[in-house]
Amino acid sequence: MLVEIAHFLTVTSAVILLLILFLNVFFSFAKPHANQIVLSNKLFNQACFLIFISFGLYVYLAAIDDFSITYIANHSNSQLPVFYKITSIWSAHEGSMFLWIVFLTLWSVLFVNFLSLAHPLKKGTLLMLTLIILGFLLFLLVTSNPFDRILPFAAGEGADINPVLQDPALAIHPPMLYLGYVGFVISFSFITAYLFYGDFNYPWEKDIQTWSLVAWIFLTIGITLGSWWAYYELGWGGYWFWDPVENVALMPWLAATAFMHSLFASSKSGVLKTWTLFLGIMIFTLSLFGAFIVRSGIIDSVHSFANDPQRGMYLLGFSGFITIIALAVLAYRLPQLQSSKLIVAGSKESFLSMNNILMLTAIFSIFLGVTYPLILESLNGNKVSIGPPYYNTIFSPLILITSIFMMASIDGLWQRGMQLRKLYISIAPTLFVSGLGVYGIWHFTQIFSILAYVGILSGLLIIVSYSLKTVSALRDKTYLNKGSLLAHVGLGLLFFSISMNSILSYQKNINLFVGGEQVINSKIPQFQFVDLQKIKASNHDVISATIFLIHDDKPIYLNPEKRKYFARGQITSETAIHASFLKDTYLTIGDQLEDGSWTFSLQINYFVKWIWFSSALMAAGIAMTIFKKKI
Amino acid sequence: MNRVFSLLLILLPVLILIIYGKILLTSQEDVTALYDPKPIPQFQLLTLQGQEILPTEFDGISLLNVWASWCITCLVEHPFLTKLSQNNINLIGLNYKDSKSNAQQWLKKRGDPYKFSIHDPRGDLAFDLGVTGAPETFLVANQEIIGHIQGELNQEKWESIFVPLIRSIEAQNP
Repeated sequence: MLVEIAHFLTVTSAVILLLILFLNVFFSFAKPHANQIVLSNKLFNQACFLIFISFGLYVYLAAIDDFSITYIANHSNSQLPVFYKITSIWSAHEGSMFLWIVFLTLWSVLFVNFLSLAHPLKKGTLLMLTLIILGFLLFLLVTSNPFDRILPFAAGEGADINPVLQDPALAIHPPMLYLGYVGFVISFSFITAYLFYGDFNYPWEKDIQTWSLVAWIFLTIGITLGSWWAYYELGWGGYWFWDPVENVALMPWLAATAFMHSLFASSKSGVLKTWTLFLGIMIFTLSLFGAFIVRSGIIDSVHSFANDPQRGMYLLGFSGFITIIALAVLAYRLPQLQSSKLIVAGSKESFLSMNNILMLTAIFSIFLGVTYPLILESLNGNKVSIGPPYYNTIFSPLILITSIFMMASIDGLWQRGMQLRKLYISIAPTLFVSGLGVYGIWHFTQIFSILAYVGILSGLLIIVSYSLKTVSALRDKTYLNKGSLLAHVGLGLLFFSISMNSILSYQKNINLFVGGEQVINSKIPQFQFVDLQKIKASNHDVISATIFLIHDDKPIYLNPEKRKYFARGQITSETAIHASFLKDTYLTIGDQLEDGSWTFSLQINYFVKWIWFSSALMAAGIAMTIFKKKI
Repeated sequence: MNRVFSLLLILLPVLILIIYGKILLTSQEDVTALYDPKPIPQFQLLTLQGQEILPTEFDGISLLNVWASWCITCLVEHPFLTKLSQNNINLIGLNYKDSKSNAQQWLKKRGDPYKFSIHDPRGDLAFDLGVTGAPETFLVANQEIIGHIQGELNQEKWESIFVPLIRSIEAQNP
């Protein structure tokens, strides 16, 4: 019964949203009425509230194992801990789409009520948001209904959540990511409303700055959690695979990053206005493109959901529809948006606009990398992989140029050019120190790889230039934007750690009997297979190995596991990781060979934790910017 | 200038929509393209182990599979290749735009289904063969290429494309 109520509430919500659209179309022909916006706002709040109640009911149903609901029966199991019963809701298409819509609604209702009744853009924003929520609610109800029942008999037991998804990081990775993705619906709708409204002197930037920053933080955390999970759960030892789904998450992130910067320039000095508006629209469009790629089944990936061309067609059509609305108004208003101010060469905004172009290039390259194999496949049915070599080669020069602009812009001023002489003076120490750093690393490691060194240099340029800036600001007691400092140093550290990881890490495959031992190399003189145990857990069997090894004179015990899950019969590998400051000792247990010995894969991964730490720094930096503005 | 931008802003998304609509709608039929037999191009490459390769390695029926350690689809087809090699199919690898150490590690970790792998770090031989990416597989009979599959080689493609070709060759030279 409860599930029918939940279903009914969603349908009612869709009807109310439709009503809002009708009302406003009707009012636009009649005389404008003062209560129109009040009424729309109230109805909108109610529609959103119904969606929340419905989702709350659904969570409850998942927690009490109502296996008469097809979706829950297919993705949950009575033996699961309650936490995973709930997270199983977003382990597949229908439920995750539901969650996606809930977050869409959450952001929308918060933002609509944040705008005062007298706000000139309130009506437009509200209508755009109504249209978008309605479109996705219909998508949920028509093509992917999570409320369907198994009739006439309920399933006795659920099919279980995929074991690799039974993990705390994965339980919060989708919600964080979705919060980031859909958070940009705000800039999308607000900008569309602004363009419709047509008063271009209105300072729109300040209204959505904080909202965009918050959404950016969620997106960053979401992507980082996904990467962290892939590293320790999939047991491949990597943190980023240039998998199409990772790529479609990176595109909105790049657009959002460009947008944040552009928004500052636009609000500070009134330049880059068209850029900012365009980027603000593109973030959400790219998020929708991501949803389309994942949910239409046109790619094979760890992330993709079941193939259903009908869903793909709907998503493509609807996303295309709202994107074209937004871009068409932008195109229509383009002549009026011409800024009277020109960008001064060497000013802060000139560097920012260069970075906008670079980010757009990066986005386009990824888009090409995702699309090209699909086009090829549709033309002649062939599958090809566009692998890391493509992305690495394209990204390393882009990263270097970006870092050079960042380094140069650090002492730049708004609307004023910089003298070349001053520019040279400001970057000379950075270049010198970074060059020294690169030489030092080469001297110490004796490994050379051009792409990696480009990355290391880029990272060092950013870190060193910001460090020098900090030192001089502290000495001269001048103003220092701490949030920006933290975020940029985070980015530099990210480039640096990724590149260092790529040159220093290595892998060994080991084959041992219980009790056997082996010398790996001079740093790991002992690797001993101490014991093997079989353990029973609540919903899986465990084979746990105990390994003793000495790494850099430090004794380490590691317990890699293999798990066999009852419900699906799936076998997963649990990695054992020993983390020290610079590196991870990362061990997975493989198969038992015919002679009774076991295979192990030992990976020494340098700077991996630093990669996530740098993402955290970036997020923290942006969070600081938000709080500082408030105070 | 503004007009051009305005047009582009609308036309580009429409174009992308059409492309993706078409991709969605295209039913993915397997292409059993007729392939004109041609000899294996001349090459001066060594195996991953550094040994020389004799043309006689390509006598009889063999498969030449283009792979790389960075290629995810290669990982997908790897179990099927392993199965083929266990059934005594002469499987030769062409390691494509890859570093020797990565390739050897990959084989060590996943198992080596190949009789040997030709190391082609710059993609020279691959270029002469007309390779567009990894993975691709060529069917070779008596030093002549008689069939070609781009993308993942699986049971279905194996049976629908290569098996008929092998049968026809065997019928010609009993």
